[in-house]
Amino acid sequence: MSEERQSQQTQAGDEFEREPVPKSALLGFKSFVGMYAGEHCAGTELMIGPLFVAAGVSAFDLVVGLIAGNVLAVLSWMFLCAPIATRARLTLYYQLEKICGRQLVTLYNLANGVMFCFLAGAMVTVSATALGVWFKFPMPELSDKYPNSIGWIIAVLACGAMISIVAAYGYQIVSKVANIAAPWMVLVFIAFGLVGLKQFIDATGTQVTSLGDVWTLAQTSIWKGGDPLPGQVKFTFWHVMFFAWFCNMAMHIGMSDLSVLRFAKKSWYAVASGTGMFLGHFLAWLAAAILYAFQMHAEPGNTKVLPGPLAYQAAGLTGLICVIIAGWTTANPTIYRAGLAFQAIVPRSSRFRVTLITGAIATVAAMFPALAMRLLDFVALYGLVLMPMGAVVFVDYWLIRKFGLKSSYAEVSGRAFNWAAGLAWGVTLVTAFLLVKYAGVQIFFVSLPGWFVAAVLYIILSKFYQKNIRPAAAL
Amino acid sequence: MRSILIIVSLASLVALILPSILFLAGRMDLDKAKWIMILATIIWFVTATGWMWKEPGKTQKDEVVVP
Repeated sequence: MSEERQSQQTQAGDEFEREPVPKSALLGFKSFVGMYAGEHCAGTELMIGPLFVAAGVSAFDLVVGLIAGNVLAVLSWMFLCAPIATRARLTLYYQLEKICGRQLVTLYNLANGVMFCFLAGAMVTVSATALGVWFKFPMPELSDKYPNSIGWIIAVLACGAMISIVAAYGYQIVSKVANIAAPWMVLVFIAFGLVGLKQFIDATGTQVTSLGDVWTLAQTSIWKGGDPLPGQVKFTFWHVMFFAWFCNMAMHIGMSDLSVLRFAKKSWYAVASGTGMFLGHFLAWLAAAILYAFQMHAEPGNTKVLPGPLAYQAAGLTGLICVIIAGWTTANPTIYRAGLAFQAIVPRSSRFRVTLITGAIATVAAMFPALAMRLLDFVALYGLVLMPMGAVVFVDYWLIRKFGLKSSYAEVSGRAFNWAAGLAWGVTLVTAFLLVKYAGVQIFFVSLPGWFVAAVLYIILSKFYQKNIRPAAAL
Repeated sequence: MRSILIIVSLASLVALILPSILFLAGRMDLDKAKWIMILATIIWFVTATGWMWKEPGKTQKDEVVVP
């Protein structure tokens, strides 16, 4: 085990990787407030806010939809993820290994790694847009799928290479920079919103003397509703609510945050996720949306969603630094995480090399603007792909014994691949795909029924599986 | 020394957000606000690094999720 990995494990508390976290290692409420607030103010927030505007959202649908969706997300952390985390106190990985077996967990890691890779790609894209402000090369349009200039390719390559090399060499330094940048970044996001609001007030000649006037301005000038831009899906209240609820589905309903909340003294500490939701997924999204709406107001033909120019226009150099740091500090751990997920599949490979290759894949993905410009769809897909395993963990922990079945069956039976869990995952995803492809259900809405499909399937399939695959001692 | 760094860094955060509030209130022009923001940014990163760098890391989900 490398020295770096050892030190990272110590920092992360990874010594409890295969055992419940002891009482002495539990953390207080404040640790979770800071972590969630920092985690959800990422570079991608600067893409998501504008994409809501491009989707033709109205002020009421956006503001109320975000409040409702974020509250549902916090409740999902509190009542689905945290109760299991604070009882079992195991990592998601170990919990899944007990239920699904090592081979299925490896498959889960592969899916996780691929998703992280593309997510990191979107973050690299965000950072690269800041370089465009300095070097003035043509940047992608909202409808672009492929790289549109040599300058863009070089900018993405430069950002991607830097982020990948740093991820491979000095992850801990980035982690520290991210901690220092977090409170600063939140305030810069808020400043974006305040500056954008004033620019709207001046440009429309609105007299603002009360909050009611601000709301009227929001309804009539900022988020007017109406048709989406060409190629975008029209967003209603339900789209916004489900998007806000499920954009972190992998973490709460998908149970990734078992690994984090297992350190919480009480399960209600998960309410700390509200800081991330309402700073990052409310204030930051609204602020970024205001900047883009102002760009559309000032130049109706300019539909480019480019965080760099948007931030520069509002806050000058501070804005550009914010875009670069927001993209960099979030892309870095994502590439690192993806690298570790891939390394788990081929344990003998060097982590350094795997991280570099992962970074290279993310960089190539970042060159294609389609990824960032369709970020709303991709984030929904990311949650959907990992969600069924959350349903499996939930059912296995709370319900399966009530049906006369055994929990943690891979561990009990000594199997490396629990087919009941594997099929529940696969069939749920195929069902979701068919619903999206042939039944006209939008991807933002399939995850909710998908969770129930996965839960029911896991119980039914376990009935057959546990009947036919007996624990070694019982044979 | 640490206390001074903390106070200066927190003051820089106030200086970071204040110009945008004053701009919204019509009390400052945007160019001036941008200059103050970049100055506050530099002060924040210099002073906060002085006292935050050695702080123990928060719960890092980035490492604990994967094996």
